[in-house]
Amino acid sequence: MWKFLGKRLLQMLVTLLLFQAVTYFLIDAQPGDIADLLAMDPNIPPNERARLRAELGLDRPPVERFLTYIGNFYTGNLGVSFEEYPTKVIDIIKERLPRTLVLFVTASIVSFWTGFITGKVLAWRRGGFIEYASTITGVTLYTVFTPWFALMMIWLFAVKLDWLPAGKFLDPVEWLDAPITANLVFARMIWTALAGLVVMFAGFLLSNRVERRYRTGLRLASVLLPVGGVLLYWWDSGLALYGWDILSHLILPVLTVTAIAYGGMMLLTRTSMLETLREDYIMTARAKGLSEKVVRDKHAARNALLPVWTGLVFSIGGSISGGIITETMFSWPGIGLALLQAAQVADIPVAMGAFTLLGVMTLVSHLVADVGYAFLDPRIRYT
Amino acid sequence: MMDNVLDVKNLTMHYMTRKGPVFAVEDVSFSVGRGESVGLVGESGCGKTSIAISLLKLLPENADIKRGEIWLNSTDLVPLSESEVRKFRWRHISMVFQAAMNALNPVYTIEEQILEAMEQHMGYMSEREMDDKVDGLFDLVGLDPGFKDQYPHQYSGGMRQRAVIAMALSCDPDIIIADEPTTALDVIVQDQLLKRIRKIQEQLDMAMIYISHDVAVIAEVSDRVGVMYAGHMVEMAPTETIFHYPTHPYTIGLMSAFPSIVGEKTELVTLPGEPPDLLNPPPGCRFHPRCPYATGICKEKLPEFKEYEDRHYVACWHPGGEK
Amino acid sequence: MMTTDAKVTRVEYVPLWRVRLNLLLKSVRTNWALFAENPVGLVGLGVIIFFGLFALAHPILMNTVWEPRIYHPTMGYDMEIMAHPSGPSARHLLGTDPLGRDVLSQLMYSTRYEFVLGLLSAIVTVLIATTIGAVSAYYGGIVDTLLMRLVDLVIMVPFIPILIVMSSLMEVGMLELALIIGVLSGFGGTSIVVKSQALTVKVKPFIEAARIAGGGDAHIILKHLVPNLTPIALLYMMFVVTGAIFSEAVLSFFGLTTIEMSWGLMINVTQTQGYLMNFRTWYLLIPASLAITLLCAAFYLVGRALDEVVNPRLRRR
Repeated sequence: MWKFLGKRLLQMLVTLLLFQAVTYFLIDAQPGDIADLLAMDPNIPPNERARLRAELGLDRPPVERFLTYIGNFYTGNLGVSFEEYPTKVIDIIKERLPRTLVLFVTASIVSFWTGFITGKVLAWRRGGFIEYASTITGVTLYTVFTPWFALMMIWLFAVKLDWLPAGKFLDPVEWLDAPITANLVFARMIWTALAGLVVMFAGFLLSNRVERRYRTGLRLASVLLPVGGVLLYWWDSGLALYGWDILSHLILPVLTVTAIAYGGMMLLTRTSMLETLREDYIMTARAKGLSEKVVRDKHAARNALLPVWTGLVFSIGGSISGGIITETMFSWPGIGLALLQAAQVADIPVAMGAFTLLGVMTLVSHLVADVGYAFLDPRIRYT
Repeated sequence: MMDNVLDVKNLTMHYMTRKGPVFAVEDVSFSVGRGESVGLVGESGCGKTSIAISLLKLLPENADIKRGEIWLNSTDLVPLSESEVRKFRWRHISMVFQAAMNALNPVYTIEEQILEAMEQHMGYMSEREMDDKVDGLFDLVGLDPGFKDQYPHQYSGGMRQRAVIAMALSCDPDIIIADEPTTALDVIVQDQLLKRIRKIQEQLDMAMIYISHDVAVIAEVSDRVGVMYAGHMVEMAPTETIFHYPTHPYTIGLMSAFPSIVGEKTELVTLPGEPPDLLNPPPGCRFHPRCPYATGICKEKLPEFKEYEDRHYVACWHPGGEK
Repeated sequence: MMTTDAKVTRVEYVPLWRVRLNLLLKSVRTNWALFAENPVGLVGLGVIIFFGLFALAHPILMNTVWEPRIYHPTMGYDMEIMAHPSGPSARHLLGTDPLGRDVLSQLMYSTRYEFVLGLLSAIVTVLIATTIGAVSAYYGGIVDTLLMRLVDLVIMVPFIPILIVMSSLMEVGMLELALIIGVLSGFGGTSIVVKSQALTVKVKPFIEAARIAGGGDAHIILKHLVPNLTPIALLYMMFVVTGAIFSEAVLSFFGLTTIEMSWGLMINVTQTQGYLMNFRTWYLLIPASLAITLLCAAFYLVGRALDEVVNPRLRRR
């Protein structure tokens, strides 16, 4: 198991380096000196420009330049933004990364879970109106033009119903006399949420190992306790209002990305279930006198999960793309929006930094998915 | 019939397909006594597997039992609902499937899958008792209990077959249906397994229906043999009788199709033609197009399955080939 | 004896090409029947045909009923209407955009480019993916490893960010876009699927037979392997088209392409002129968005229906 993990980690590192090499030389291959691209911004005063040139090694032969670039990258020096000179690219990324991560991770998990459950139930009942209706819904969500969908969500929830804000990270008016910065509040939100989830997860794992009669009670406790604890913390800290402001701005973007990813998951699960249902062990399970629900969930769905999980790997790219579009539509200040804005004004350092980071995110997601698959399929683990 | 585990009466089952109904099982009746081993033999598509899945009421969506009764001990399974039948499945009647390789779920260990069946039906047993029983089952089928926590893909073909048999025995059923359990194995393993199956069956005094297209295998494991053709049961008799005194023309052909390694060399007898298309079966006796003794009545009326001699049933207008 | 004499039938001489033709027609008919079983696929096909006619109608209209001065999609301007954008009217069925151009004309004009883009990307993808898949499966070893690493690399980064970055480095027009999308898709997930299929075909007896009969590598790959990969490649072609149309729309919407007229661009103009969230100018946003969604969905549905033809296990009994 660990050997497998180590091997994959190594592969990931190699792929990452290759990726950076390709990206780097992509820019290098552009007409014009890369020095021009990275440092010749008229906003930068000349002596700064010279210093940058030296620091980034722009007056050296290509291979050395590349190595300097890599060295700089891994020590956190990604250059300086053109647009927002003299802000360092790394600072921009540090500020924006958590926001994109929250969006991406939440949407991925929720869409996978809901899509899988729906697809599983729908596959069990073939034919009829339900099948066509769900196919149409799934396909629509999957292929709808994302900006349009985002606009419709905004129009519905923010304009018509006025339940949620229409975009951006927070409402500046609310924060005029805030004791700490929004980024810190956001960071705390993430930590408390993670802590709560860990407790919940641990509780569920534990509940599978105790005797049957304690299970429901334990599960209930492992949901209520963390939720209660988190709410208590926020109430006590006096920051609840600020937390809520951020949260309310978070809901709509997350909902949008989730809804779109949901369609694909649901359709894939249904297809996978249909294939699994043809297997012989399904008939064995029924012959054993197990209830329909157990056959469907414990036997069929558990095996149908495998191709769906693989499909998740493929859909990560789409989720990230969808995330970029959503960030743009909602003016959610994350990495995706940074990339787009940078591209629109040819702010190469920021564009490169954001792009590389998205690549890293994809790579890590792939790794997690691959490792996850090994957990799910014993045939991979023990061969 | 006294003390029968299984009593099947006039079982009729059809599949609905795009092109119309397929008359897979037609008016089949037979019974299995306690501790008795009945063999069902016939070519592919003659209805033997269809009978098997009907007995457990494991019918696919497009199949229906049209008529008949299936008496398991003292309960007729046919009118029961799905949830009612579940109580009987595995606990009183279990099955070893054809190509049992794939009958095991790849993501759970063998132990987990056997325990699953036991937890469902034998919930009164403690965890310790269940574990011991699993070990016992493994010994019974000739597997090392040390391997019980492994996954199906880690087992060889023969081992998987034994595991499936162990699983089928786990709830002490009254009758077990074995549908071609050794077909996919090589002959040596097949031989070992057959001997073991026979031993288990006699040891546990368990009733068994053994389905196969291989007449030689049937001969080795069965007390009585039923011959199926095109959805009908055409002959049924104790094993000796079937082999030495076959009466239905199809059975005669079937038995003569085997070259004997002892005695004189005789010419191999073959049956011309093919089994009928069950979408459009011929009228009257379904065997008449291939039967050398067929006469006018064979083409019009279906012969009844009735007693020809003591415990020897045939469905034929000219049993024994008499004209 | 229970045997009977077999009847000897006379065999007529039928030329080989005719036999092949009949087989082809028969398989087309069976596949069509399978495809048609699924109404979802038929709906998709219907939508595609509709858009095809839609695209064809434009030049006809431009040459007959519509006066180019007013109805030209990029340069038309209707001076008889005071304020642009204007709502649907008898003169302009879907109104005019902020620059005074007829919306319906724009919609129809863009359609042909969507098809061209989709087709071009798909062809490039299929060529690349089939080559990679077949070669990788056939030769195995180091060739396989290298190609698969390359594929991993490409899969690594999603489309849209790459396109965004590319647009900041160079001018992205229709051709460049099609090529980039085609190459990226070809080197991506599609080739993995094709390779899996190729692996199952490679071990079939007829490949061995061909080799024994003296067939060289190229011959086997081209004449035996590739034809068996065509169904699955065609299937994924549909999904590539969906992706291509969608990507172009997003990119044009962001204003990152140099394409002169497309559905995405229509929405971009709407946004830059400030009419995006305006409910009264719905005709600026909804027709274009609907067109994108419908055409993407149509290709996807056709793809799924083809999936049932290609993959027998998904069929209902």
